[in-house]
Amino acid sequence: MTDGWNIVVCVKQVPDADDVSIDPETGRLNRSDAEAVMNAPDYNAVEAALELRDEVGGTVTALSMGPPNADAVLRVAVGMGADDGVLLSDPAFGGSDTWPTSLALARAAEELDADVVFGGEETTDSSTGQVPPGIAAHNGWAQLTYVEELESRPEEDKLVAKRDVEGGYERVAAELPVVVAMGFGENDPRPAGLHRKIYAETDFEPETWTAEDLGIEDEVGLAVSPTQVGGMDTADPVPREQEVVDETDELAEQIAEVL
Amino acid sequence: MAATSDTSADIEEHEDVWVFVEQHDGEVANVTWELLSKGRDLADERGENLVALVMGENIDETDIPEQCIARGADKVLIADDPVFEPYRSDPYGEQFRHLVETHKPAIALIGGTHTGRDFAGRVAVPTHAGLTADCTELEMEDGRYEMRRPAFGGDALATIICPEHRPQMSTVRPGVFPAAEPDADRDGEIEEVEVVVDEADTMTEVLEREVGDVADITDADVVVAGGMGAEGDFEPLWELADLLDGEVAATRDAVEEGWIEPARQVGQTGKTVRPKLYIAAGISGAIQHLEGMDDSETVIAINTDPNAPIFDNADYGIVGDLHEVIPELIEYFQENEEAIPA
Repeated sequence: MTDGWNIVVCVKQVPDADDVSIDPETGRLNRSDAEAVMNAPDYNAVEAALELRDEVGGTVTALSMGPPNADAVLRVAVGMGADDGVLLSDPAFGGSDTWPTSLALARAAEELDADVVFGGEETTDSSTGQVPPGIAAHNGWAQLTYVEELESRPEEDKLVAKRDVEGGYERVAAELPVVVAMGFGENDPRPAGLHRKIYAETDFEPETWTAEDLGIEDEVGLAVSPTQVGGMDTADPVPREQEVVDETDELAEQIAEVL
Repeated sequence: MAATSDTSADIEEHEDVWVFVEQHDGEVANVTWELLSKGRDLADERGENLVALVMGENIDETDIPEQCIARGADKVLIADDPVFEPYRSDPYGEQFRHLVETHKPAIALIGGTHTGRDFAGRVAVPTHAGLTADCTELEMEDGRYEMRRPAFGGDALATIICPEHRPQMSTVRPGVFPAAEPDADRDGEIEEVEVVVDEADTMTEVLEREVGDVADITDADVVVAGGMGAEGDFEPLWELADLLDGEVAATRDAVEEGWIEPARQVGQTGKTVRPKLYIAAGISGAIQHLEGMDDSETVIAINTDPNAPIFDNADYGIVGDLHEVIPELIEYFQENEEAIPA
């Protein structure tokens, strides 16, 4: 592959976690005021995608699924340096759990003839981490999750990853195409360049694809999602003494009591 | 890999509760024993078998199958082949798909470790399973399997159901459930299954694997945990933990700063601990952290900010810098050794 790799990076629009609050009167969640932002771990995915393009050549296409205004996260990725962006947007996607979501992204990655698909470790609003392995499984591709570092081997059509595993790490070589979930915080995402940012926010128009465009109109949405939300409860706080002491010795005595 | 359309008749064919046994080089991750204890309860309520699934190489040279039976499994399925050591998602996923198609489990429990989450995300797709991550409660309610997990950063608990697809899969973080105690008198069946994966068909190769002793903070009676207030210096926490025969833990932020190893992270994306004594030092008390420690018997808070939420979630607290307070605590216990049980 002398003309570089087709690199796709998946990004998601989420409510800003710092803005989600609980209404003290009703105990219900208040998400309406929360600003919509790009999922924080996705910045590491975009950075890794751009670094890989710098190494092996090719293009980076940002890919998202969401309502029409989710194009904002594609603009963030393009501002950072992605070459293009595609938004999967269709009311038919509504209510999709991770199974159809990863199917839609997998079909789009195939359509984009991807060699490498990046995603973040997990999203801050759902925190499942299931979508990157799901994309890989739908396409029968290799997967590398919890990635700390990457090493490209274009002459072998392989990507080598250092992965974080319990108690240590492993280095795994994967054949292309491969799906990579970058570990959160594993690199330093670049800031958007001024000119690129202006382009991303003005002239850049992402393509929008529907479920029908991907040929999966009967395989997405709430009805085909294996999991459903059966209910939602606010978590009850554990009752505590809440006693604040003035002297360390008093604290030490309380600790000694427990011991 | 087309989606299989599950029918209600098909659903009724699925039975038994499976536990994925996470092992590397014959060492079983503790979360496996925790899943066996929860799985035993679920299988009893459903009137079904608890099945432990072991994949690896030369499993017959280990006591893993016997351990699984001693800790609650009625049956152990073993897929033994060099292709399964060490773990890789593609051969494990292919073998699991085959086993689900031939054995039709109703429920599958998987540890919420990096390996377990890598595996679960991979295998849920070809089996068209419903997969719920990071469950903290798993219950049978009127014959229906209900998986509860934190939502919206831990402010709420969502109940997830999977009415029309099997298996129903759940990942569970380490420490959420107590580990099953071994009972050497239990009986169970061991079955070697056909291996359907060939090394030539794999897409990945593990070039190197460096794994040391994994710290286990979930068993400690005393946990001394630090957050951003540690400002890069965990030394006093280590010293206090050593004195009180406890373990050191940390918030996600502190782990990400590189101040301490990830295996010691407590909270939504780390481990759940329930020690007798939890000392939260320089920890503000974000909901994601509280979730991993709020079953502790007694919580002590040390924080410079009197308005930090940790004080509402602690039994006893002191407003102050941990780098002053902890050395004073160390001094107290050095002078009052009788306060520490032998």
